Amino acid sequence: MTALTAVVAAPFVAAVLIAVLGRALGRWSALVMLAAALTSFGATCSLLGAASPALVSLEWIPSLGVSFRLRADAFGAFFALLIAGIGALVAIYSLGYDTHSLGRARLGRYYAELSAFMGAMLGIALADDLILLFIFWEITSISSYLLIGFWYEREAAREGALTALLVTALGGLAMLAGFVLIGLATGSFALSEIVADDSRRAALTASPAFVPALFLVLAGAFTKSAQVPFHFWLPGAMVAPTPISTYLHSATMVKAGIFLLARVTPLFAASLVWPWIVVPVGLATFFLGAWQSLRENDLKALLAYSTVATLGLLTAAYGLRVPEQDALQILSHATYKGTLFMVAGIVEHAAGTRDLRELGGLRKALPISFSLCVVGVLSMGGLPPLFGFVAKESLYGSLLDSSLLGAQPLLHGSVIAVVLVSNAFLLAAGLKLLIGVFFGPARGARVAHGEPALLWLPAVVLALGALGLGLASATDASERLVNGWSSAANAQLAVSLVPTHLGPFFLSLVTFALGLALHRFRTRVEALQQRVDRLPDAQKLWNALVVGLTRFAEAYSVWWQNGSLRWYFSAILLFTTGISLFALEAGGISIASLHVSFGNLGWTSAGLALLILMTTFAVVRADTRLGAALALTASGFLVALVYAVYHSPDILLTQILIETVSTIVILLVLYFMPPFRKDGLSPALAAWNAAVSGLFGLAMFVFVLLCTNPAFRETRNLGQDYLARSLGEAGGRNAVNVIIVDFRAMDTIGEITVLVVVGLCVYGLLRTRRAAG
Amino acid sequence: MRESPILRTVARIAVPLTLLLSLRIFEQGHDLPGGGFVAGVLAACAGVMHLLAFGLGRASRFPWWRLSVLGLLCALASGAVPMLTGSTFMDHEILDFALPLLGNVHLPSATFFDLGVYLIVVGTLMTLFVELGLEERRWNS
Repeated sequence: MTALTAVVAAPFVAAVLIAVLGRALGRWSALVMLAAALTSFGATCSLLGAASPALVSLEWIPSLGVSFRLRADAFGAFFALLIAGIGALVAIYSLGYDTHSLGRARLGRYYAELSAFMGAMLGIALADDLILLFIFWEITSISSYLLIGFWYEREAAREGALTALLVTALGGLAMLAGFVLIGLATGSFALSEIVADDSRRAALTASPAFVPALFLVLAGAFTKSAQVPFHFWLPGAMVAPTPISTYLHSATMVKAGIFLLARVTPLFAASLVWPWIVVPVGLATFFLGAWQSLRENDLKALLAYSTVATLGLLTAAYGLRVPEQDALQILSHATYKGTLFMVAGIVEHAAGTRDLRELGGLRKALPISFSLCVVGVLSMGGLPPLFGFVAKESLYGSLLDSSLLGAQPLLHGSVIAVVLVSNAFLLAAGLKLLIGVFFGPARGARVAHGEPALLWLPAVVLALGALGLGLASATDASERLVNGWSSAANAQLAVSLVPTHLGPFFLSLVTFALGLALHRFRTRVEALQQRVDRLPDAQKLWNALVVGLTRFAEAYSVWWQNGSLRWYFSAILLFTTGISLFALEAGGISIASLHVSFGNLGWTSAGLALLILMTTFAVVRADTRLGAALALTASGFLVALVYAVYHSPDILLTQILIETVSTIVILLVLYFMPPFRKDGLSPALAAWNAAVSGLFGLAMFVFVLLCTNPAFRETRNLGQDYLARSLGEAGGRNAVNVIIVDFRAMDTIGEITVLVVVGLCVYGLLRTRRAAG
Repeated sequence: MRESPILRTVARIAVPLTLLLSLRIFEQGHDLPGGGFVAGVLAACAGVMHLLAFGLGRASRFPWWRLSVLGLLCALASGAVPMLTGSTFMDHEILDFALPLLGNVHLPSATFFDLGVYLIVVGTLMTLFVELGLEERRWNS
């Protein structure tokens, strides 16, 4: 196994291990996850210095051109480092968090899901095959669903989890459709091949599927990264335990959409449509997120919306064709936002609430969290010497120099204004958090616990990252780092702690002043925000959509699945009849072409046929259900005799046993049937019954007659073929059984699966009903 | 349900005999009439006889559905084994090997698939019988 495969495989191995041993390991499952995270981190580090990106390619579905292809280019490896690194910190943090909040019994589940999620994220970062990328993408959606719904006895958790799943999975499906279009247009699913090959990219651009593919892929990216108008699922997901919010909904999963944008930028960015969609969506998300962030009083909701804002900024950067910003902005955001989320967790852990209106004056009680929060907020607000300052400075530089906007001063100005105002809002939100929790008078909440080292240690690592990277920007270390890791080839970003250009520095000063002003006049800003009610509330629209769909499904089900056996039976019989007749029609086979003769029927067969007719008549004429059931059984055994006459022991045996068992089942079920009211049958209904059964009988009769007719049997005789191959290839003399278990084993798999599901359904339905009543 | 003593006496002999017959039919399935499906149905018949004679008591406490799931896993696993040697899913092989007491054994790997079918049929049918029986008992009480 190469290091590259190990990066992705290690967390999945850990997930399986924890799932199996979770009960025995208890909270120490965290160490298994930690080990997996460190393995992935180390393995990724070992890939970094390579001259050409490491590549693993295994055949998977060669007939469709889909392969298991991993590739560690600089940006992918950077992303993987981030995922594995923060994963390790989150594992440690969870260890400090778990004992009183997560519940002993669910620890195994928690760590197993978290590890699987980490593996899937690493898969996204390193996948080079579009279909493989999609699969990892969906695994993150599913594990995120499970993790958000961790406290599933809470209604809010279930709702938040379901909304997140529906939105991201829907986007994921759209993305898959987009990927298929790309694959069809370019003839390859291998991302790096498509990007490297000019003719493939030209084929995509020229293809009519170009714009649909662009929209579909963007739908995937926007839903995952919570872009307007899909932003509503992210705050709802904050019901999850804090380590999960930190990991999934701040540091990694929501950045998967950004990552996808980076991956498809080389394919789409040159088109004219791209900036016109991506920039407005990104900027709208940036502003709305920042605006909403300042409104929130819940620590995690505040941070969630500020995350939405940053994701919008990153999206806009791709739209503005400055992808070289991505590594810098992602790194900056991950360091400060991870710190702040962890601080929020410590505060909640200590004070028992996350509501800013109940918190205050905790500076003395939680000194470590306080210092961490200062670092985080200053970086979020973009103040020196933290990395956030450097990142913002560089961003303003890129915006001022933008070649895309340079020709249109009005647009250029408004884009910069939106970014500036949003940044100011973020700074104000940060100050609100810092001052609300740690300064002012102590309000309702009292500190019950101290600050466990396991909780603040990981946050210290991240905060030191924010500080260290900022200080390192005084030299060219950070610059080289982020340029090397960026998704843009040959990124030449200027990153410096010491302002080198006047323009960006001036914009930073304006941002700072505006942010302080927003904070100073916060009561008036709040009043304004109250007046502008939550802008277009996508959550309500979405809920209406989901409710509408459910109502439609209900109405349809009640109409179609109305519980009447007669109705079901009619539907099944008519469908079978229809499809049989259609097959005959389509094959151009007509009953008229058959030469039917009863010449070689023989007395035994004729007698049997007569008896079968009589018993069938008895079924129809019976006055009680029991009588009908017995007559039916008699008819079935007579059919078995037919098989005896025609020397077919296998089917004979099966028929006898099946008749026996179905009679028993009928007798068992008879007990629950409503009274047998044949007299109450309306003439119309009786006629309908007769018509349906008559039609079905006729169709089957014709079908069997045709199947057994030599004229049609000889054309392609499968039977002979199977008989000939049975012993040699499958080592069995009983061709019937060999067909079932070997030649047509895939069919049998389908059938037995249905059988198992039926058994489970009967068990589940009847048991739950008995338990309820 | 009141069980009849005659049925009990017959069942004491007939149930094990039927089960043996079912095993025999399963075993001969690859070469003679029989196989997992039929043998499973036969075993379920034996199960019904037991239920009718001795009541639902112990039989209803056995988790029959797990037998179905086990069978499905067995069938899938037998199909997946050839993949280890580079063949495709469900590409069964014939294993010929020597065992100490039994001598040469001719064992198509499809037998394990058939075993899965057997377990599923027994499990699902018994689930049906037991659940419907329990339901009837509840209606009576």
